[in-house]
Amino acid sequence: MPESIPAPLIIDTLKDTFREARASLAAEGVRPRHDHLGWILSVPDTHQKSVLAALDKERTLRVLTCSTEDEANAIAAGLWMGGEPFALMIQHAGLYASVNTLRGVAMDGRVPIFYMIGLLQREKDKEPRESRHSMVRYCEPLLDLFGVPHARLEGPDDVRFIPEYYRLAQKRRGPAAVLVGLETA
Amino acid sequence: MAMKPEEALRAIAAARGDALCVPTMTTAPAWRTLAPDDQSVGCVGFMGGASSLGLGLALARPDRRVLVFDGDGSLLMQLGSLATVAGAAPRNLVHFLFKNGVYHTSGAQEIPGGGGVDFVQMAKGAGYRAAYAITDVAELQRRLPSLLREEGPILVELHTGLADKTPMTDRGGVPFAEQVERLRGRLIAS
Repeated sequence: MPESIPAPLIIDTLKDTFREARASLAAEGVRPRHDHLGWILSVPDTHQKSVLAALDKERTLRVLTCSTEDEANAIAAGLWMGGEPFALMIQHAGLYASVNTLRGVAMDGRVPIFYMIGLLQREKDKEPRESRHSMVRYCEPLLDLFGVPHARLEGPDDVRFIPEYYRLAQKRRGPAAVLVGLETA
Repeated sequence: MAMKPEEALRAIAAARGDALCVPTMTTAPAWRTLAPDDQSVGCVGFMGGASSLGLGLALARPDRRVLVFDGDGSLLMQLGSLATVAGAAPRNLVHFLFKNGVYHTSGAQEIPGGGGVDFVQMAKGAGYRAAYAITDVAELQRRLPSLLREEGPILVELHTGLADKTPMTDRGGVPFAEQVERLRGRLIAS
């Protein structure tokens, strides 16, 4: 059975992921221009609201709330060119809304965008593909259609997928995603 | 008479210094000719994204000025970006809006609201530090030095006619992925 993941665990994992990213950038010769570790580009997701609430008090991660997921993707491209680490926190509905930008920026533009996508209304006792809610059901098939590698965070042990899929995005120079299975705690 | 977009771009090219530039749609073919050097990246394949692409660059590199060459039809596709830019408040971002009242690339169909849409008021209402309308190239040339020094984000609505070329009549240019790679290489090395 899936379990909710505590917000502090997700935030600590993101910090470690960005620290590693900063170290890689430094090895490339990138001079840090900010005190924070990295950027969270967010279109607020009900499923990850405890993480967003905790991020409000966090000074080492800079949160930029965007009006749309399209914007978040394009902002990510600018941050990538400028040598800044980032992650997008969105909802499955936002993924559907921004498919053209996912294609144009992350895929065609070869920008390594790492997504954390909340599966709002996912039933605890069902595989997402069997959900009675279409917005839950279509998320993984859509990512498969576009060839976006993804993993599901189904409990605290799965936070290991955050750095793993972040690195995968960098390595393949394109999108990679983790799906947040249950509402964060 | 409205200014030619090419004249406006020529004036900006002469004044930009080392600013990073983000052209889109009908500004892209002319900008390729005017600034082939280059420290630019075009918003290609995701219409409406120029302001956000510029915002990302401006946030990543606060030491560099970033100039966005947006279109009125393009901005309407992601109008919420005005609020996102204003909220992020990048001091180094200048958002030029080439206002011709039509979707030139797809055949010059009138944009919703036509030429009456007031982007200056919209930008001010969203929270830009300042917003101006400029109707002729002589005024643009006169004001550019101060506009490019002014604390951003600012929006400059340029009242223009139609460009000589569109991305459909002049399909050249470097693919977006190569532009991204090239500019990233330049930026991380500097």
